Amino acid sequence: MSSSEPRVWVETIMGTVVSVHAYGTTAFVQDAETAASVACAFDELREADRIFSTYREDSEISRLHRGKITLDEAHPLVAEVAAACLDAEQRSGGRFSATWRGWFDPTGYVKGWAVERAARMHLLPLLAATGATAIGINAGGDMQVGTAPGSDWVWRVGIADPHRAGEVLAIMDVVDGAVATSGTAERGAHILDPRSGEPATGVRSATVVADSLAEADLWATVAIVAGDDLSWVSAADSRSGMTVSDDGRVRRWMGATEVSVVTHADSAAR
Amino acid sequence: MKRIVYGLLATLSGVVLLFSYRTSLEAVMPVAADDTAGTTSSTTTAPAPASTPSSSAGAPDTAGTTTPSASPSPSPSTSTAQTTSGLADGTYTGDAVRTRYGNVQVQITVSGGAITDVQVPQYPSSNREDQQINARALPVLISETTSAQSASIRMVSGATYTSQGYTQSLQSALDQAQQ
Repeated sequence: MSSSEPRVWVETIMGTVVSVHAYGTTAFVQDAETAASVACAFDELREADRIFSTYREDSEISRLHRGKITLDEAHPLVAEVAAACLDAEQRSGGRFSATWRGWFDPTGYVKGWAVERAARMHLLPLLAATGATAIGINAGGDMQVGTAPGSDWVWRVGIADPHRAGEVLAIMDVVDGAVATSGTAERGAHILDPRSGEPATGVRSATVVADSLAEADLWATVAIVAGDDLSWVSAADSRSGMTVSDDGRVRRWMGATEVSVVTHADSAAR
Repeated sequence: MKRIVYGLLATLSGVVLLFSYRTSLEAVMPVAADDTAGTTSSTTTAPAPASTPSSSAGAPDTAGTTTPSASPSPSPSTSTAQTTSGLADGTYTGDAVRTRYGNVQVQITVSGGAITDVQVPQYPSSNREDQQINARALPVLISETTSAQSASIRMVSGATYTSQGYTQSLQSALDQAQQ
């Protein structure tokens, strides 16, 4: 592991900044094929943006919305995402919905899905290459990371403190998997509860660890909408996670189990 | 006799600790699904081996290594750290949660700044692999550790930043630091 050196690529895509970190031997991180795969991953995200962005007049989603095309005529990935969104709506008990406004807007789902897809197509396969140690992609705070088989590499992931900009509230170690955080820290109460149309409040930040970034991103959004109700955790494919409420209270879970801290002072008071 | 192995990854003073405990499902008093009852009873069942003598050894040797060993070993591991860590004494208790695999509950006891016991009073027997992966990814609050723990952070997860927000973000600093 001491022989691993880092290489970082950063690009602005989908209105946010996407970073790819590769670790391995100099030969691996400087290899033209490694760089080409990273470029392909970025291309994949730009393509997803062209298809799904509601900010683009000519995206498939915008054209669907205006009735210019039907789902059958749209890019095949649109139908794939539509099916995934419907499934997500059912599994989340309606806390996520891509159609609650009356038209199909998968914005809340596409980012995690697209980043995971790009990672699985172009980045994670690099881990089989000679000299590779680890590779990960972070898009606006949502990441999919992987480690080469047999490597003892661990991704130490910091979770940003939603109440103190620039500070880390918690850390955790991930070998292979995804971490997504949703919240209201930077953009205000922009996540709407599809059941009421009202902005979700109460939880300022929700972080979900899962095998899949599409899942982690979905459930992190669901956690914001669910507020103080953690019952969704038992339905989610979540490895672990935590929420931070508006008043700073932290709740954590592993699998489907909430882990709470009771100090001696607290327990004596009970 | 049905046995499960439960591992917990905890970080204290720059040392990555891996605890493994054998827990007999039959030996542990069943905890009611009711939250408050569970918390109360688990506090009183704070386990005997809190004074395990081996728990005070080993920290200096491992202080230099920053990577944990892979998975819980079948025997109880005993490495731990000095008692000046930020991990607060007490019992960390999970509410019993009904999952598609069955009811799950986790209980961790910290004494003298070190984790002295991990029990899973309720855990479905089928899902050992999940347990091990979960154990690696429990978010640990910085306030429960020392500041050195944040030194080796590779990536930061945070609520979606815009490209403007990125320039002030920790991830931006990390990206630059690695280049």
